[in-house]
This record gives sequence, structure tokens and C-alpha cells, in this order.
Amino acid sequence: MAETLLELEGLEVRYGSVPAVRGLGLSVDDGEIVGLIGPNGAGKSTTLHAIMGVVSPYAGEIRLRGRSVRGRAPESIARDGMALVPEGRRIFADFSVEENLRLGLAGRSRHDRLDPLERAYDLFPVLHEFRRRPAGVLSGGQQQQLAIGRALVATPDVLLLDEPSLGLAPLAVDSVFEALRRICDHGVAVLLVEQRALHTVALADRTHVLVGGELQLTLTPADAHDPDKIVSAYLAS
Amino acid sequence: MTRWLDGLVQLAGPVFLVVAVGLVSTTVSAANQVYFLNALVAVAIVVAIYVFVGNSGVLSFGQISFVAVGAFAAGVMTVPLDSKKGVLTTLFPVLRDHTIGNVPSLLLAAALGGLFAFVVGLPLMRLSGLAAGIATFAVLEITHNVLQQWTKIGPGATTLSLVPESTGPLQGTLGAIVVIAVAFGYQRSRLGRKLRATREDPQAASGVGIGVHLQRLWAFTLSGALAGFAGALLVHQLGSITTEQVFLELTFLTLAMLVIGGLTSLWGAVVGALVVSGLDSFLSQAEQGVHVLGVKLDLPSGSRLVCLGAIMAVVLILRPSGLTGGRELRLPRVRRGS
Amino acid sequence: MILAALNLNFQTLSDAIGLGAIYALMAVGIGLVFGVLRLVNFAYGQLIMAGAYTLAYTSSWPTWVSVVTSFAVVVALSLAMDLVVFRPLRGQSPAVMLVTTFAIAFLLQSVALIVDIRDGTLGEVTAAFSVLNEPVHVLGGDVRKITLVSIAVAAGALLLLALLLAKTTIGLHTRAAAQDFRTARLLGVRANRVIAFAVVLSGLLAAAVAVMMTVSAPFVTPDFALQDTIVVLVGVVVGGIDRLWTATLGGFTIGFAWGVINGLLPTDKTVYLPSAVFTLVIIVLLLRPAGLFTWGRQAAGERV
Repeated sequence: MAETLLELEGLEVRYGSVPAVRGLGLSVDDGEIVGLIGPNGAGKSTTLHAIMGVVSPYAGEIRLRGRSVRGRAPESIARDGMALVPEGRRIFADFSVEENLRLGLAGRSRHDRLDPLERAYDLFPVLHEFRRRPAGVLSGGQQQQLAIGRALVATPDVLLLDEPSLGLAPLAVDSVFEALRRICDHGVAVLLVEQRALHTVALADRTHVLVGGELQLTLTPADAHDPDKIVSAYLAS
Repeated sequence: MTRWLDGLVQLAGPVFLVVAVGLVSTTVSAANQVYFLNALVAVAIVVAIYVFVGNSGVLSFGQISFVAVGAFAAGVMTVPLDSKKGVLTTLFPVLRDHTIGNVPSLLLAAALGGLFAFVVGLPLMRLSGLAAGIATFAVLEITHNVLQQWTKIGPGATTLSLVPESTGPLQGTLGAIVVIAVAFGYQRSRLGRKLRATREDPQAASGVGIGVHLQRLWAFTLSGALAGFAGALLVHQLGSITTEQVFLELTFLTLAMLVIGGLTSLWGAVVGALVVSGLDSFLSQAEQGVHVLGVKLDLPSGSRLVCLGAIMAVVLILRPSGLTGGRELRLPRVRRGS
Repeated sequence: MILAALNLNFQTLSDAIGLGAIYALMAVGIGLVFGVLRLVNFAYGQLIMAGAYTLAYTSSWPTWVSVVTSFAVVVALSLAMDLVVFRPLRGQSPAVMLVTTFAIAFLLQSVALIVDIRDGTLGEVTAAFSVLNEPVHVLGGDVRKITLVSIAVAAGALLLLALLLAKTTIGLHTRAAAQDFRTARLLGVRANRVIAFAVVLSGLLAAAVAVMMTVSAPFVTPDFALQDTIVVLVGVVVGGIDRLWTATLGGFTIGFAWGVINGLLPTDKTVYLPSAVFTLVIIVLLLRPAGLFTWGRQAAGERV
């Protein structure tokens, strides 16, 4: 029985008097990947920031496992089972890979595994290999794996990703997207914000197109064969 | 047309306040007049500081050095000859054997302040942020140390007294107006506007060819000259001066006045100086027992600084952009429909 | 030989190292709070002053009780400062933060003045640990015991701190917060906990400094440690305020320089010691504005 882990309802976020996101509603169940695509400045990152409590919504509701998280501090939301892989990865280059992962444990409130870092090492073996090296020596793709691994060690219910494919070579992108599928299979709900429209539409169970802060259209993997539909969605406003 | 009117209001506001303070000061007792004169001199000092700090956005802790230089220069050169030869025996002969008048001393102080600022500013204007703050603070420390120890240019650690008290209501008011007018003229001029551009976005400004260091140096020098002038006003108001009076406490007080009034506007500088001076005077009175709205207020002595510190901290926590929000005084705008 | 040529004797050098050690501890206290709050606490010296006054007012008590009490008072004051001043000021411009902590510094000094002056005289005296002022013969020269104690305490404290930061979870969180607070919070690092940790450590260091300072200067006035705090602040910025270890080195260096220059100056010119040191400060800042010990371009982390 699928459980709705993340739900947005009528979300509106403003910067000053300018609305960046308007009337956004979506939901993600456990084991689902939901994509969020759209042109630059469409409000995708803003949506994730609002969910994590970094910016305060002007109106609307954000629910984690049915309970509202609006107005709570980011660290409190993180500890409750929501994890964000930020844009640009934001890893700590001078800390070792292992320290970066241990930092992710700050978001952990459940202590059900003996070695919490195992989950990250299983998914991304290269992290285990480099665990004592400074994170700065990793390549772009490996750093992305570290950022995702770091989010996962907290065993979140919901995983938010902000443009993970940014600056990555195609092979690296493929391996990241494949990892996301595997993560999903463990029951995590994934909300994926992305620039690479086709990849996302093909991967996700559902992909929403956000233009000018508003939801224009929802696509399914079947639409991955129809680029025109996506393009016209982007241009609509 | 509106710009001209805006400019007039921006200048008239501060001048009006200063004139009001000056006029009121002539009506009160001699004992109370001191508070008003303090306020006027404070305006001169704070506006001088604002000319650099407010326009450039660079925090300088060294401006009081120029006030010190101006105060001691004007003071030493106006002490009557016979007293000078008797008391300040270790001075350089050129200083000891000559005396100048009131207005020349004000001009001398301004010139020395400006010169000192120029020399110090040449190397220092390359710095920004914390480095600039610390470097200018170092200048303050050095100035204080030298003035305190070098008995050939001044009284050293002892009090310089017998300075003619020529800063009464008239000189105080005129002096403050002069500083305000110069500050206003500068910030409206092309030089001033170039500097303000560097405050908002140094990289963009130098991208369009504004020499950041040069503009800061102009403002720093002008600020130094005005500060020296204010220092002369100060020494002629007190009739005496010590190195401790133009060191840390004055630096803190005047910077606080500027920040509380609003760092980025002339109006803010004047309002801050007057409000904090007024508060300080009120608290001094309260230490001796005063009536407020029918209630007798009697603060224990020494608590004046506690209250002042507490009030300033509270104001800054509640309204960090200052009482004026860092904006100039303007006429209320009449909105035309659109 | 070099020492003799420079007119420096062993005593001067060891005193300079001792002063550097104490200043290094103060630098850590200041640097910790700056790291997590991006705030320069000008009122740090008042924490030391409070510790010194507590020692003075409890000087008739058994020594260790007196010391523990002063530690407690300082840490409590430090936490109070965080609650009342630092938290509301978060995110403000450096000018506002500096003037406000300035104001707090003057406020606390004035409070101390009111309390002190009630007995009619200015200043209180701490119990004399005078035994520590006696010299001990080391490596062919005479060194005051308190100098050795200062160096030992500083070295021990710094080592302990390094271990704390490197090996514990709260240490990891604090280091992360100092570098990129926003991301750290997104990962679940509790902002308030980390800040409290830094503030408490900072207070403990101030209390330790107070104990060591009152050995050489048992007479406590409201401006106790004010000049030292100013010098350490300058040293911290010159060393490089962005990283804890460059800040600490900066504090040590300026203390050491102060002592050495004092020894180098001819006796009739020692009154110009501040001018000499601060001229050196200006020169160093002009040559290396980002910090004497920083390399590469270190940008201060983002603050949330």
C-alpha cells in the first residue's frame, strides 16, 4: 500500500513582492521518483528550498508523512526524514570523504543500522575506496555520488535533488540516474529537479513541467519519445 | 526642478536642526549650555567621519586621530604666549614662541588633519573590510601613543589647558554648518557620486573606470580635514584637552552615533549625533535627579554609561539600519496616477 | 650569540613566549565565536574581566573553589551574551555588529565600575599566587614559573581543542558550520547546539586566561584585559580571521612580537612600544591583507 510521503498543496513562494512559485501542488509516494523540470528561473530550486525550510512560503502547505513542516528550521526538517542534495553539491573539500558522510549522520534520528555509512558505500563503491582522502580530490561525478551518499546515510524518507547532473559528463549522469532508481527501490520517495528534460522524463514515474512558477503539464515516461511536447510545454506561459 | 528641491531639503534639514540647537543654547543657563555645545561639536565630528565612512562603505576607526591632531594643534598654538612659555617648556621653539588667533587655529587644524589623512591614506586606501578597519585602528593607536609621549609637540600625558574657549553658540553652530555644507557639497559632486558607486559594487565601479583607491583617498583626506577642524572646535569648547579624550571612548561614541543615526546618509549622521548627545546629556542630568513626566528619576552615578550602552545596543538590535534607515531627508512624494 | 647581539636576553624571550601563549588562547576564544557566528566579539575582554573580578571577590575562599566559581561565572556570562546579543544580531552588517559589541563592552565595564566602587576604592585584589611569580632556572636562564604555566596550559588547551574538533561529532559539526553553515544545517546540524558549544569553549578559555593574568597583575579594574583584547583582535585579523589556526597563530605572533620589540627598544624609547608594534601591523596588513598565514584565496564561508 503506497504511502504519500511528500505532499505540496497550493505552494506559493515570493521574493519580496515577486512570486517565484505559484499554486504548486504535487505528491510523491514511497518508491516513486517524481521529476520537476522547466527553464531557468522557473522556480524549481525555490520549491526545494521552501520544502527544506530555507525560504518561507507565502502560502500553501508542505506535508511530510501527512504532517506539516511549514515554518520549521532546516535542521529540524532534515532530522525528520527529509534530505536535500543541494545544487552544486556543496561538499566539504578539505574534509575526508568519510567525514563528509559522517556529517550526513546529523540528520539521522533512527539508529537501526550498525554501520550507517554502509548504505552509501554499497551504492557507490568508489566512496569506500577514497574514504580517507580529502573530498576535493574526487571528480565531479564522484563528488555527486558523495553528495547523494551523504544525504542517504541519514536514512531519509524523502530525497530531494537539485540538478544533480549539472556539470557532469554523460557517463557520470547515467550512473547517477541509475543509482536513483536503486534508491527508490528501497522505498525512498525522490523528488528530482533537473535541467536534462528527456533523461528525467524517461526515468521518473511522473514529471511535472514548471514554467514561470506554475505547473504547466505533467508527463509520463511514454512522453520521452515526444520531445515536441516537452518543448511546447517549456514555451507555454 | 525636483532634484534641485530635493537637494535643498537634504541640506536644509540638518542645517535647520543645528541652528535650532544653537538658538536654544543661548536661552539656557551656562551650566546647561555645555550640553548643547557638546551636541554641536559632536555633529561636526560625526559628519566628518561620515564623509569617508558613509560614502565609501569602508569602516575606519582612525578618524579620531585627525580630530586629535586638530585639537592639539589648535590648542597648542592658541595658548597665550606667557603661559605657554612657562608651562610647555619642552616644545619646539617654533611652537613655543608663537601664538595664533582663533580662526587661523581652525584653518591650521583643518590643514594638518587633511595632510595627515592624505599621508596615511596613500598606502591604506588599498585595503577594505576588516583589514582597513584594523589598519586605521592602528593609526589611532600610533597617534595616541605619539601625542602622549612626544613632549616636543605638545603637553604629552598632561592636560593641555588655558586654551581660549572661543566655541560658544555662534562658533559651534557655524562650525557645524560649515562641516555639513562641505559634506553635502562633496556628496552631490561628481567625486562623491563616484565614490558612492564604489560602495555599492566596487568591481562594477572599477569596470567603468572609476579609480577606487583614488576616490577613497579624496574622501579620506577631506574627512581628515573636516575632522581636524572639528577637533579645533572641540578644544576651543572645552578649553583643554587630553590624549584620552580623543582616543577609544570618543571613537566608540562617534561611531555609535553614526551607526545609530544611519551610516549611509548625512541626515543620519546629524540625527545620530544629536539624539545620542541628547540622550547622554539627559542621563547625566538624571544622575543628579530629574523630573520626567511627573516622575522623579534618580540614577546612581556611573550608570549613565550603562544606560547609554544598553540603549544603543537595543536600538541597533531592533533597527540595524539606523534611526533614519540610512536615507536622506526628503519631501513626501505626491504620487501621480499611472 | 645572536640573542646577545640583538640585546635580547633569555628572560625577555621567555616572557614574550608566555605572553604569546596567553594571547593565543584569547585568539582561539575570539576565533571560535567568529567561525560559527561571523561576529567579532569586542566584548570578549569583559569575560576575562568578569573572571578576574570573581577571583578577587572570592579571594578569601579556598583556591580551587574560587577558580571553579570564576569559571562558572564566565561561562554563564558568555552564554548570556550569546542569547541577548549574538542571536538577534545574526546576519547584520559588520559595522552594526562591531558597534553593538563595543556598546556591550562599555556597558559591562560600567557595570563593573558601579559594583567595584561601592567599597569606596577602585580596583580589587586577587589572592596572590605569588609563588608562581618566582623564577625558575631553566636552560641556562631564569624564567618565571607563571610563564611556564602559561605555555603549558596554552599548549595543553590547544591540543585538547584540536582533538575535540577533529575526533568528536560536535567538533565535526562545528568545523562544518564554520565553513558552510547553510549546508551544515541542511544536513541536520543543529545550529544552536554548535553555537552554544563554541560559546562555552570560548568562555572556558577566557576564564583560564583570567586566572593566568591575575598572577602577574593581581590588581583588577574595570578595564582589565581591555588593552590585551584590542591587541589580540588586531593580531587575529593580521593572522587571518577566517581559519581558527591562522587566528591563533596571529594572536601568538602579536603577543610574541610585543614582548620581543619591548626588549629590542632602547630603555628611553620603550614608551613608544605601541607605535612600533602597530606600525608593524600596518606594514603586514599592506603586504598581506588576507592574513599573514593564509595562502591562496580563502573566502569566508556563507552565513545563514
